[in-house]
Amino acid sequence: MPQLNPNPWFLIMLASWAIFLLLMQPKLLSFTPTNSPPNKTKTTPNPTPWTWPWT
Amino acid sequence: MNLSFFDQFASPQLLGIPLILLSLLFPTLLLPSPGGRWITNRLSTLQLWFLQLITKQLMTPLNKPGHKWALILSSLMVFLLLTNLLGLLPYTFTPTTQLSMNMALAFPLWLATLLTGLRNQPSISLGHLLPEGTPTPLIPALILIETTSLLIRPLALGVRLTANLTAGHLLIQLISTATMALLPIMPTISILTASILLLLTILEVAVAMIQAYVFVLLLSLYLQENI
Repeated sequence: MPQLNPNPWFLIMLASWAIFLLLMQPKLLSFTPTNSPPNKTKTTPNPTPWTWPWT
Repeated sequence: MNLSFFDQFASPQLLGIPLILLSLLFPTLLLPSPGGRWITNRLSTLQLWFLQLITKQLMTPLNKPGHKWALILSSLMVFLLLTNLLGLLPYTFTPTTQLSMNMALAFPLWLATLLTGLRNQPSISLGHLLPEGTPTPLIPALILIETTSLLIRPLALGVRLTANLTAGHLLIQLISTATMALLPIMPTISILTASILLLLTILEVAVAMIQAYVFVLLLSLYLQENI
């Protein structure tokens, strides 16, 4: 199996990490979302139950 | 030299120049950098929507400290997705069929999740090695089993992606060879094989997307245990 040839292993590791960290991440980081993410408030809702009228 | 079916996975070289760099660079070329405008073109809008979708999907189960991992996990997802899908085009090389690349991605990221857990919450991280409610006589055996399953995670991550993509590409090559070989002999069987090839290609598109998602999902799960 040619994938087990250890010759290009180090190069492939370096190249994939370098391209991933130095090229992909800045490109994706430059996408600015148009809505700011809201922080979730930790209050639990307390719904008061009501009965549905049958008629 | 006679070519075997595995030779499509040899890291491509041209006069000693490794061409795997090209196949690694291509996903970045497909992502346009958005300009300074609020409303961009359709491609950038779609990419932004997609990026937000996967970030939300990955970050929802994580607590607040886990959101520091948003960039690396979403960019890994996009990278793997694009590399896998581009490899399905004819005459392209898929770098994720290389065990070296997948292990290079899986091992450091898994180790990062493990060390995060051991550094910030060592008791809780080690506590995951013993599931709740195990009977007392089983404890030593179960700790050994859980440790083994923990240590085998990076290997499984890397090999899963490699094996799935390698098997898919190998199947495509086998069935297309069969189609071409049968064409002069039994044309109807060749058409049947061609339809099988079409279905297989659709499956491979699905597998490419699913395997990228599973890789990143499992990493986020390992992160959830440790952060």
